[in-house]
Amino acid sequence: MPQPDNIRDELHNAPGEPLLPIEKKLIAWSLTIGLGLLAVLTVVNHFIGWSGS
Amino acid sequence: MSNAYVADARVAAAAEPAARISEDWLAVILGLAIFVLALAALVHVDLIGWVVTTAVWSNLSQALGATSRSYAFLGGVVALLATYAALTVALSAAAALLNSDVKKFALAFTAVFWIAYASWVIGNFAHFAAVTPAEQQKFGISWSLKLTNEGGYIFALLAGLIIANFLPRFAEAIREAVRPELYIKVAIVILGGFFAVTAAGRLGLASSLILRGVAAIVEAYLIYWAVVYFVARKWFGFSREWAAPLASGISICGVSAAIATGGGIRARPMVPVLVSSLVVVFAVIEVLILPFLAQAWLANEPLVAGAWMGLAVKTDGAAVAAGGITESLILAKNAAEGVNYQPGWILGTAATIKVFIDVFIGIWAFVLGYIWTNYVNATPAAERARAREIWQRFPKFIIGFVITFAAGLYLAFGAPADIAKNVPAAIGEANTFRVIFFILTFFSIGVLSNFKALWQEGFGKLAAVYLVSLFGFVIWVGLAISWIFFSGITPPLAG
Repeated sequence: MPQPDNIRDELHNAPGEPLLPIEKKLIAWSLTIGLGLLAVLTVVNHFIGWSGS
Repeated sequence: MSNAYVADARVAAAAEPAARISEDWLAVILGLAIFVLALAALVHVDLIGWVVTTAVWSNLSQALGATSRSYAFLGGVVALLATYAALTVALSAAAALLNSDVKKFALAFTAVFWIAYASWVIGNFAHFAAVTPAEQQKFGISWSLKLTNEGGYIFALLAGLIIANFLPRFAEAIREAVRPELYIKVAIVILGGFFAVTAAGRLGLASSLILRGVAAIVEAYLIYWAVVYFVARKWFGFSREWAAPLASGISICGVSAAIATGGGIRARPMVPVLVSSLVVVFAVIEVLILPFLAQAWLANEPLVAGAWMGLAVKTDGAAVAAGGITESLILAKNAAEGVNYQPGWILGTAATIKVFIDVFIGIWAFVLGYIWTNYVNATPAAERARAREIWQRFPKFIIGFVITFAAGLYLAFGAPADIAKNVPAAIGEANTFRVIFFILTFFSIGVLSNFKALWQEGFGKLAAVYLVSLFGFVIWVGLAISWIFFSGITPPLAG
């Protein structure tokens, strides 16, 4: 197990790990749901959000 | 000399006696204790009015005083000594419950308290803190840096940074009492009551913050996290073990989220701890820059500024503290133009956004843990993520925030009139303690930020991801989201 003193070596020499299908799904679904929900909240905010102090 | 978090990483795997109570629960107890003691003032029993408070000064003899007029006879120095004694006793007891060396803690806390509070007093010097021409005239000065009294936080931070980077042995010697997470959690518990009393007068505005808090959650967990994870994995070639805690640290809430994520995906203990130390460093940089940018750009959009701090600054301590500095700077700028906003809203917005984000740390860590233990690194059934981890990783100090918030709201709306009228003063005494815990937090964050040690440990590549993600994406998307949801909304006017 690498020791903390060799973090630089570990990070620079670590073998590449290609994105797994589950990782791609996690990224894609997160962004899709996130952007969709944000759009919904923006619309809700526009119609019922507080409009002044 | 190693950065404190790196030192922690080296012993993370070593067997240590378990603390009798977690830091989160301790923060709840301490925060609630201060809050309850303050409430005694509602029935005219002033239990904590002796706590020291500092005013902007040009004559040092007038800087300190007791918070409550009932204790004015003590004078500033006695109030300061009493505050030091009370905090030392309370926090030493807390240290004992955390299985720390009490004597070592008490000695370290002595240094921490006096250096941090001295920095706060220096920061309140009129030439640093006075803002308006009227204030400058009052103090008989012709110039000021106009940092406001909360510029004292910056002085405490700078004092910590100087110690961390130029006096590393001293930093190590006081390490036992350098606990920014504990201090800010206590402060946030107290802040709940303060914000409730502030919000009670404008419940419609306060409740609309909830909608915006939900937007913050969506942004942090679903948008930020995905982008930062992709950047870390694809552009910088990090392994999954590093990329997941890094993404959580950069996008959600530095320390807590990185550690919860690391636990969820069964990473080596040193990974999230080392990510956390990087988060602290960048939070320091943000606190030194963003509030001033907010003042320059967003003085006419105060709640955008508050939300921006909550979304962009990635530790609880730094985010809430940045909210406090931003409020002070923006209120001062507007006051100079004759617009006096009610204090508490910008800070409260930043804190509420951050609390909302924190609430879901446990859930997100469970989601990632479920994915990792079932699909990425499938493990035997006994080691897979379980739903009970959601509660285990839930930041318990939020319970304290909710309790004091609920209590504050009840007192504002449900208490008889003769008691309700004393609520602001009572909460104000607790708020003085909140300020002191903020001071301790700022100083502690500074002490933990040894830039040179981090560089020597090989943090360059991690820092590069952080730099690209934070300054290339997180900060600006956070500003955009804050603008979408908060622009055009201003705090109520004072009085």
